[in-house]
Amino acid sequence: MLIQILLILGFVLVFAITWRRFGQNVITFREASLWSFLWLSGVAFTLYPGLTERLASFFGVGRGVDLILYLAVAIQFFLIFKLFILNEQSERKITNLVEREALSHLNEDEPASANRPSNYESNG
Amino acid sequence: MKIIGIIPAYNEEKRIRATAEACLPFVDELIVIDDGSADNTFMAAKSIPRVYAIRHTINRGQGAALRTGTHAALHLTADIIVHIDADGQHDPSQIPDLTHVIKSNQADVVFGSRFLGQEPKGMPLSRRALLLAGRWFNTFAQGIPKTISDPQSGFRALNRKAAVQINFKQDRMAHASEILKLVTRSKLRWMEVPVTVTYTADSLNKGQKNTDALKIAWQLLLGIFTKS
Repeated sequence: MLIQILLILGFVLVFAITWRRFGQNVITFREASLWSFLWLSGVAFTLYPGLTERLASFFGVGRGVDLILYLAVAIQFFLIFKLFILNEQSERKITNLVEREALSHLNEDEPASANRPSNYESNG
Repeated sequence: MKIIGIIPAYNEEKRIRATAEACLPFVDELIVIDDGSADNTFMAAKSIPRVYAIRHTINRGQGAALRTGTHAALHLTADIIVHIDADGQHDPSQIPDLTHVIKSNQADVVFGSRFLGQEPKGMPLSRRALLLAGRWFNTFAQGIPKTISDPQSGFRALNRKAAVQINFKQDRMAHASEILKLVTRSKLRWMEVPVTVTYTADSLNKGQKNTDALKIAWQLLLGIFTKS
């Protein structure tokens, strides 16, 4: 069927891109392997649709398509959460830079009645 | 003992002088952190004697401002550091209630609590219910002892040892819960003392909203998984 050919071509393409990115040191071997497992699973399920039905009945889900949808939603939740965490890490780096910049001016603007500090100690 | 007060301020040009001047009789020096304000908070703070004004070039949140202030206070050789809000909710005359406990070596960290006998003035019922829920959340999700009566206290004092040791990371509102968690899980001695907090229409309008409770829970969840 045409849809099977298109899907398999798509999976082969992203599989090739995955390993190209590994070759370019953009992703780690572990990441490339995990993504490859996903793409190859896609090829297997496209070629043998009965596999999803068997897997679905193993997990107690009615149809194979439903199982794929549930998994897709779960994977998307995971990836979105990971993006939030990466964003939080970037935010903290920005804060560290802002703090460092702010503290660099501390001695310039000291009030007339205050003592000049002698040392700087940071816990961050 | 050198006491330095820290006031994080965001768009507080009109109130910062009054708040700072109310605090100054009870501290040796004061640090105002202008957290990327759009108004002239920085210049207003800078013009006050005995006040160090520090500016974040962009807004990073109350927790980030407190962290910058704490590091600055350590740099300025503070023995005791007091965190206080800029919006006038806290009563500066109660600063000695907190610092006395540290001076007399009864604790390393002192938290001001709104629920130890001194009735908060003007606190909406919904806020009270939310803080009670926050107390349970802190206990189950964060492992903070239920004996902590105020889950979001922003009025606190730390000695130098505690300020160096407590390395809080939360930039925004969740820092209060994070500090409670870090302190109560450390070997630092801590104590709560009663403080009076006054809520005005202005402070309620600018301060935390009830819906912020969900944001705090979300920030704490992200914090668990964030390496930095």
